[in-house]
Amino acid sequence: MFGPPQTISRTDGGLNTAIGYRYVEDTLVSHADYVLRQNQIYSQAAYGRAGLWEIYGRLGVTDFKIFDAFRSASALTSTSKIHFDENWKFFGTLGAKAFYPVTAFFGAGVFAQASYNFSNFTDDVTGVTGTTPYMVDLKLRHVWDVNFGAALQATVPGGLRLYAGPYAYYRRADGDLSAAVFGLQGAMRDVSFKNKSAAGAFFGADIPLFKGFRLNIEGQYTDRFSCGSAVTYTY
Amino acid sequence: MRYCLSLILLFLMLVLWAGPEVCPAAGPAADGTVSSAPAAAAVEETKQDAFEEEYTEDEDDADDPFADKPVTIADPIEPFNRAMHTVNDKMYFWLLKPVARGYKVVVPEPARLSVKNFFFHLHYPTRLVSCLLQTDFAGAATETGRFFINTVWGIGGLLDPAGGGELLLKKQDTDLGQTLGVYGVGHGFYIVWPFFGPSSPRDSADILGNQALYPLSFLNIWYVSIITKSVETVNKTSLRLGDYEAVVEASIDPYIAIRNGYIQYRMKEVEERRARSLCFRKMDRDAPRPEAAQPEE
Repeated sequence: MFGPPQTISRTDGGLNTAIGYRYVEDTLVSHADYVLRQNQIYSQAAYGRAGLWEIYGRLGVTDFKIFDAFRSASALTSTSKIHFDENWKFFGTLGAKAFYPVTAFFGAGVFAQASYNFSNFTDDVTGVTGTTPYMVDLKLRHVWDVNFGAALQATVPGGLRLYAGPYAYYRRADGDLSAAVFGLQGAMRDVSFKNKSAAGAFFGADIPLFKGFRLNIEGQYTDRFSCGSAVTYTY
Repeated sequence: MRYCLSLILLFLMLVLWAGPEVCPAAGPAADGTVSSAPAAAAVEETKQDAFEEEYTEDEDDADDPFADKPVTIADPIEPFNRAMHTVNDKMYFWLLKPVARGYKVVVPEPARLSVKNFFFHLHYPTRLVSCLLQTDFAGAATETGRFFINTVWGIGGLLDPAGGGELLLKKQDTDLGQTLGVYGVGHGFYIVWPFFGPSSPRDSADILGNQALYPLSFLNIWYVSIITKSVETVNKTSLRLGDYEAVVEASIDPYIAIRNGYIQYRMKEVEERRARSLCFRKMDRDAPRPEAAQPEE
């Protein structure tokens, strides 16, 4: 979720807060291509001024699933499961955005946003390689991403804001297997995942509700489709 | 455990001892507490006479329908209360005030207000239970709405979006002492607790109730509650520096001033809560009114 490029805070400066949910899918590259899936729930606080700029921070929890991360590439190695799956862990996000109003109803903005997971994601797998049983765990440390983008925004009567634009991003998760197993992750201990695509597009709508509340709905497309929604409150 | 039981027993004894809420300043105490403590009653009576003599010229005010009804409270353990008042006073000037002043210098006001909001937010269970027991269901709903909005959009209660902007959900600043008051339980007598300050057996229910309904008290780490209570107290004091000093400077006997102020403030709060109560509001409305005195011909 990047939100509309123009802050929703009061023009003389003020806070806005949000509660949001985001469904993330992406393709990661390591020894092969893997699909990442995350469900994120977060709380956000932002300060904006003059309708021109905003800084924001988020604190939330996310799960982490990498499909086929434990799938064996060798017929000699069997595994008890094939997906890496870890439950809710905390993450934090910091971001900033700036907006240039071309007219009262139309403008353009840029943003930068970075997220970091405070905890490691760990999952283990058992199996047999040849005739030897094994049990290894994959620990992902330093899971983070950065995003830079630009967007055009149109405000339609009623206060509804529509926006869309391109963005570039980099996502990384460094980890290691507790032991190298033939057929698993290239039989290497060091495992690092990166995003396959470097850029994508996002689009969304920011809908006024009532008494200072707004609903933000957003979709993102890179290699796969992600979407999210947040309810914001302007102080 | 034994300590808690002793406290509860002591409290129950005090509540049973306690009578109606207040007694008129000009009349004898109606709760019997004075007669149970003859020495204290004599002192109280002497003070009452002196008070009446001093203010005889104000008799005209009795006809003033807008004049506040003077209220007071039995004070049979005044020597103990005065000692505790002195302890609290010294603790304020020697410890709490210097710490609060330092805290005020270091922490900016918006942050202190956020801390105050946060601690107020944590007392939601007490306010909810109090509203429900008072049959103030609108108040309970308002409190629940406030709690939800402030938790989600107020960053866990640090901010108060529910109380401002267009929402304007009013704080239900109520407690279990007020709840007992709404049910007609009297103060009993005045008591000054060390650390907690002015109270009465009835209002001491709030001290126990707060302990039972305060989420942080369920943490099994003993120092957490001490630290949080200290931070809450210092933070609250930093936002009110000068208020206590003003009362002390403006009064001849700060003990009496605080006692009277406390009892009047609590009585007003209980009256307000009773007016909001679904059950007692109706009872008060349906209750037969005392017949008006007929003018002499």
